[in-house]
Amino acid sequence: MLDRKVAPQIQQINSINFEAPEQKMLNGIPFYHMNEVPNDTCRFDLYFNAGKIHGQKSIPSVANGLLLSGTSSKNTNEINEAISTLGAYYESGISVENAVTSIYCLKENLVEAISIIVEAITDVQFPEKEMLEYLSDRKQQFQIGLKKVGVNAQREFQQKLFASNTLYSQVTEIKDFDSIKREDIISFHKDHYINGLQKIVLVGNISSEDVNTIESKLSSFHIATFNDSEELSNLPETSHLEIKDAMQSAIRIGRILFTKNHNDYLDFIILNTVLGDYFGSRLMANIREDKGYTYGIGSHVVEFERTGYFVIGTEVKKEVREAAINEIKYEIEYLQNELIPEGELELVKNYMMGQLLKSADGPYAMTDLFLSAILNGKDLSFYNDAIHAIQNIHPERLRELARTYLNWSDLTIVSAG
Amino acid sequence: MIEFEKHALENGLTVLLHHDPTTPLAVLNILYDVGARDEDESKTGFAHLFEHLMFGGSINIPEFDTPLQAAGGENNAFTSNDITNYYDVLPVQNLETALWLESDRMLSLAFTPKSLEVQRNVVIEEFKQRYLNQPYGDVWLNLRPLAYKVHPYKWATIGKEISHIENATMEDVRSFFEEHYHPGNAILSVAGNIDSSETLKLVEKWFGGIKGRTKNVRDLPVEPPQTEFRSMNLDRDVPGHAFYYAFKMVPRNHPDYYTTDVLSDILGQDKSARLYLKLKKELQITSEINAYITGSLDQGLLIITGKLNDGKTFEELDVALWELLENLTSTPISSDELKKTLAKIRTAKAFQEQGILNRAMNLCYFELLGDANGINEESDHYKATDPQHLLQVAQEVLRKENCSLLTITPTGNA
Repeated sequence: MLDRKVAPQIQQINSINFEAPEQKMLNGIPFYHMNEVPNDTCRFDLYFNAGKIHGQKSIPSVANGLLLSGTSSKNTNEINEAISTLGAYYESGISVENAVTSIYCLKENLVEAISIIVEAITDVQFPEKEMLEYLSDRKQQFQIGLKKVGVNAQREFQQKLFASNTLYSQVTEIKDFDSIKREDIISFHKDHYINGLQKIVLVGNISSEDVNTIESKLSSFHIATFNDSEELSNLPETSHLEIKDAMQSAIRIGRILFTKNHNDYLDFIILNTVLGDYFGSRLMANIREDKGYTYGIGSHVVEFERTGYFVIGTEVKKEVREAAINEIKYEIEYLQNELIPEGELELVKNYMMGQLLKSADGPYAMTDLFLSAILNGKDLSFYNDAIHAIQNIHPERLRELARTYLNWSDLTIVSAG
Repeated sequence: MIEFEKHALENGLTVLLHHDPTTPLAVLNILYDVGARDEDESKTGFAHLFEHLMFGGSINIPEFDTPLQAAGGENNAFTSNDITNYYDVLPVQNLETALWLESDRMLSLAFTPKSLEVQRNVVIEEFKQRYLNQPYGDVWLNLRPLAYKVHPYKWATIGKEISHIENATMEDVRSFFEEHYHPGNAILSVAGNIDSSETLKLVEKWFGGIKGRTKNVRDLPVEPPQTEFRSMNLDRDVPGHAFYYAFKMVPRNHPDYYTTDVLSDILGQDKSARLYLKLKKELQITSEINAYITGSLDQGLLIITGKLNDGKTFEELDVALWELLENLTSTPISSDELKKTLAKIRTAKAFQEQGILNRAMNLCYFELLGDANGINEESDHYKATDPQHLLQVAQEVLRKENCSLLTITPTGNA
């Protein structure tokens, strides 16, 4: 007779197979190639030293959005047509410190897709007409964003949290879209794209002959010779932005923290998971599953090259904003005062091992995991350190970290709605 | 080619097994053949609320998530107008934990009042977060009843109104479970580096003892053919004018389905598609515009949507759009344009299929359509698209009297 009350035996994950991409230089620029792909798909990324901190008035993000706006021989429609004809997808985006362009396609079309996109990016003319059209679109999107409580809270949080460095704390303003000049974009492009390539990433089963062809197409780019990344200081602040007619309030609570290079990083990641980084976390169990205040709440650790931060984010029913913040405070103080029960910690350890296994599953995930390590100058042995940290963590250590890093008075607390 | 084995348990459960030796993970996916279309019109949002309750403990296991997380796994679920789909992703060696958990909640839920009370609140917050407290968030709450007058697609998965969720009772929950959650109404797939006979034994072990029930025959009201153009405007506190042209299209299993999908891509797939080139780049009427299909099992919708540039009017858009559509319904498209459209579809499918979770989900979905192997035939359907047939489909779909138009005007603007 089947006893359904007894769980099947669980087998622990003891080791995970991490595989690094091949590494070499293409035209003096670091190139990472994950060749073991069991199908015909591929992805090609160019990373540029062209993130938000490298310019003002939203110039970095506008330059990024206009990379395919037209060259001396092809207009933007012709470029888009050529990419589509190859069945390829182009994506670009910027983060705080970097910009990235990606091509997704089948490997038979990769070399040609790279030709089109590299030519488009290196010879881009930023035609005035395209620029004005793009600025007008972005302005509309920006105005729509301001109607969302989450966007408002995030802007406010970023300004407060990064207050020690204006490059990091600046946010897009509506006037940016009326004041950007074509010359600003052209000069930014030259400094941060043509002379700002940082790394090249290829995931795909591509021959070395094709890699040589790709190298020859990248000769117009030069490696970035500067780095504006900085460390930031933690300057806690509290604020609330009242938004009339909002049905919910968005909350962001966090602090400046560290990168993978800090001795407490790996153990803090475990503490973060307990607090808010999985479905069964303390914050979810209390604020969603017990109180029903929200559809979701989570906490995260985010890293830049030389600094990082910790953040809790949620959107709650407007009437319970204060109550939700108090519950978050309660959960944090509980971690500072009480030891995490062994059973809960065991669960978190197993869950984290499963997540790490998933992060290393398949060539795309594995490549991204690798890129995350090298962002802070680490290599894949970092993830074996992570396994070691997960296997050896104990409740006293987590309580100590909560006491060191999660003091309520050290946290920036922002809400909007 | 996605290889799989298909089995049926005596209680009616369909089992699909897919072997992939390249991953250390396994996926257990269970599709229940129930969606918002199966709800009573006075109790909408129920299929989705019920999905939340499926995580509130089952008859023998107090919590669903805890043991799965302890096994290194994670899970989620979604509800659409057609189906409710649950999946668990975990290290393959712990697959049995997922089978144990999923089988127990198929057997019976715990039905605790606390779970119902909390999930009602959570879903109400989801309703606000995604539909009410978002610019343009209530579009589908209004577009559905404009396009559908009879068929239950006229309400959204989240429900018609918050009160339906507030009023849900434990008795409603129990009877919904009785009716829809049983082996004969489910399709299960397991994907990963699995041994198929061992896995089948495990599935039999945990699911075999669940009593089979007769699958209800679905008898939904049929939407009568639309014979008149419909339009509706909403004034909202938003920054830009938005438009949604919704054209009725064939059900998922109709032979014209794939051609209609290609038609939507030709219109609005990307920055080289017709709508973008004409209405945005050339005429500068819109700031954004695209097209897609809902892919519904019953009669679906082809949607053309976007936003106006400042200073442009819905009338200007309307004239230019119908002119563009008129061209598509009178002249066959060139083989180059078709080839380009199909090339992108091919790439998208290759990327989609490389994830094991997508494969596990899609096997169940195609089995619901009639045959799991449909997943392997899809590419041929797209390849077979021909310009003459596309023209006929365009003529059938892109008619004014087949269209419902919803516009959103910023308050304060005429």
